[in-house]
Amino acid sequence: MADMDWDALDDETFRREVADFFRTEYPEEIRFPAHFLRWAQCKDWYRKLYAKGLAAPAWPREWGGMGLSPGKLLAFIEEQEKHGVARTPDMGITMLGPLLIRFGTEEQKREFLPPSLRGEYIWCQGYSEPNAGSDLASLRTEAVLEGDEYVITGSKIWTSFAMDATHMFVLVRTDKQAKKQEGISFMLVDMKSPGITVRPIRNLNGSEHFAEVFLDKVRTPARWLVGQPNQGWTIAKALLGFERISIGSPKLSQTGLQRLERIVQARGLSADAAFMDRFTQLKLNVADLTSAYGRFADIVKRGGTLGPDVSLLKIFASETFQRITELTLEAGGDAGAIEGEVAFGDAAIDILSPFYNARPSTIYGGSNEIQRNIIAKSVLNLPG
Amino acid sequence: MAAATFGDPVETGEDTHRMLRDAALSFAARETSIARVRALRGSDPGYDRAVWRSLADLGWTGILIPESHGGLGLGLGEMATVLEEFAKTLSPEPLNAVAVLAAGVLVQGDNDALKTELLPGIALGHVLPALAWQESHGGVEPLDIATRVEGGVLRGEKRFAVPAEADGYLVSAQGADGPAVYWVDQGAAGLQRSFERRADGSRSGRLVLDGVKVSDAQRVASPAVAAAALQRSVDTATVMAGAELVGVMRRALDITLEYMRTRVQFGKPIGSYQALQHRAVDLFIEKELAVSVLADALLHLDGDDGQLALWASRVKSRCSDAGLRIGRESIQIHGGIGYADECDIGLYLKRAMVLSAWLGNGASHRRRYAALAPAHATA
Repeated sequence: MADMDWDALDDETFRREVADFFRTEYPEEIRFPAHFLRWAQCKDWYRKLYAKGLAAPAWPREWGGMGLSPGKLLAFIEEQEKHGVARTPDMGITMLGPLLIRFGTEEQKREFLPPSLRGEYIWCQGYSEPNAGSDLASLRTEAVLEGDEYVITGSKIWTSFAMDATHMFVLVRTDKQAKKQEGISFMLVDMKSPGITVRPIRNLNGSEHFAEVFLDKVRTPARWLVGQPNQGWTIAKALLGFERISIGSPKLSQTGLQRLERIVQARGLSADAAFMDRFTQLKLNVADLTSAYGRFADIVKRGGTLGPDVSLLKIFASETFQRITELTLEAGGDAGAIEGEVAFGDAAIDILSPFYNARPSTIYGGSNEIQRNIIAKSVLNLPG
Repeated sequence: MAAATFGDPVETGEDTHRMLRDAALSFAARETSIARVRALRGSDPGYDRAVWRSLADLGWTGILIPESHGGLGLGLGEMATVLEEFAKTLSPEPLNAVAVLAAGVLVQGDNDALKTELLPGIALGHVLPALAWQESHGGVEPLDIATRVEGGVLRGEKRFAVPAEADGYLVSAQGADGPAVYWVDQGAAGLQRSFERRADGSRSGRLVLDGVKVSDAQRVASPAVAAAALQRSVDTATVMAGAELVGVMRRALDITLEYMRTRVQFGKPIGSYQALQHRAVDLFIEKELAVSVLADALLHLDGDDGQLALWASRVKSRCSDAGLRIGRESIQIHGGIGYADECDIGLYLKRAMVLSAWLGNGASHRRRYAALAPAHATA
């Protein structure tokens, strides 16, 4: 099965095969989950994906991936979203893998790709720091070369999946004299190394998804530096291609709207003209977001290159999603501050989790303010 | 029935669109200018017959008219391409009102003799008809008709007719067998015309039909087809007004961005200030959403009639609100000079105001969308 050439299937067959698998094989208890999944909750599912050959849709086939064209990759993601298939701790697959394949040495690829694909290595991403958020290039975690090892000291924050991770890929400063972006390197670290402490961060939604990772004289082999020293910024930037469209998907807003629509019906809000005007506005926003997403998706499907204007999808998708969760809170009335699932007619709806989950959607992946800066400069050609 | 040919799918490639766009660019460069637009403001009839004939020479007045009646028989995509480019010039000639709204009712009507008489003249630019479908309160519902036809006599009042000073009016009226549409010559006995000035300096017409005699030969659409012809033509023109709004907002935003790059305050171009940059980005996003919903509508409409009303409301609510917002905020970004009539940006705001209000504003189309959209519709 793992040898199957998925990309050779015609688009319709491919979509149907993938959808069938997601519908029949995905565990019901974690479909459309309210929170990010821990590895223990989803490792059985990951193994099923791996056995079927579906674990790494974007990797080339020679490394065990599906070798999907951009159009099929988009269809794969759309079917995942449609069937409520949640993210596993997948940083190794979505982020590190493509990066190693492009910038890694043969030795690094052989050492890290197969165990990552098998789900034996779980990766987390060490980019942000307490004082380097939107201004990521000002990061201060430092790596000093001692013999054939780098010694890393500093701290990383907002690290997703850190509690489950066996390894971390980090951006570290290797040249303090160079200009901000030019003194940064990209390297790999074993999370079991002495000197690493992980402190989970409790979210507004009560769960622990992010963590702070402290590195106190952590030693990592010099051969685990990816690319050239001080080239890390370029490497990390190179990743932000495909993510920019999937982060703008209308799916979250579409399911949010369905949730809201059930409350509207159960509470008879359709008689409230003032409420309905805002509700219809949001409905149209989601419909038009879907049209805009379709325009960019067509570029990807035709094999074209996305321009910086794709940032508008991330902005509008996340802000629309936020507004939907806000109106959902309002539609809930007195139940709008009740935790957990609340009964509306015959539906049980968790109002607060989507509301909380929508908060960071305008912060991560480049905050919406940063996205607006990017569009202003790169698309509208406004002066700096 | 000839009705089936209006706005149906037509196999044309990118080449046709490119040719039409090139023609529109050359029209913009040679035949019109902002000075001409300013000079025609407040004048009567408010447009230029000579320019209208050159639009006809380009084939634009007959884009949707079947070839058998002297038109090009092209589709909505081609019409939208032309209208979007044409709207950028702010030319006051009523291309959408004549070539889509009025011609649509004629084409979809069931009076072959009238078609043969009028459609070639419209395509050639000799005849400018106006559809008189709305009454004193306006609205988006073409079958909400108080004007009556009884014993071959029309009685009632029509409002918001464009072009105001037309060669003849296609008047909708309620009869014993249902709604019908009649051709009334501008000089007909019993027809009184008056005019209301619109924000952009153009006019819309008020008609009082005080016993206007009409014969069966003047009946453009009988009750068998009138309701569908009116609904479909109004909805089609509504989508096309979206294309015009997209043209206006593209040009207005370009002008505003250029101003932001060049206007210096506190020693720096104002476009370097983040508060204004983010404002401009939000306008850009609104414009892109308008472009997206229009493109999606055109993709789905050529051929699928059942969804026309829903698409028309989606397009018009987004484009009306986006056009108005870009117009208004462009004034703010220009600062004081934006409030001066001598500054062109105000012309774009005023055209956006007219196009937004015409054929139903954003709020009315949101209400109609809510009524038409099936529950759980998320796309």
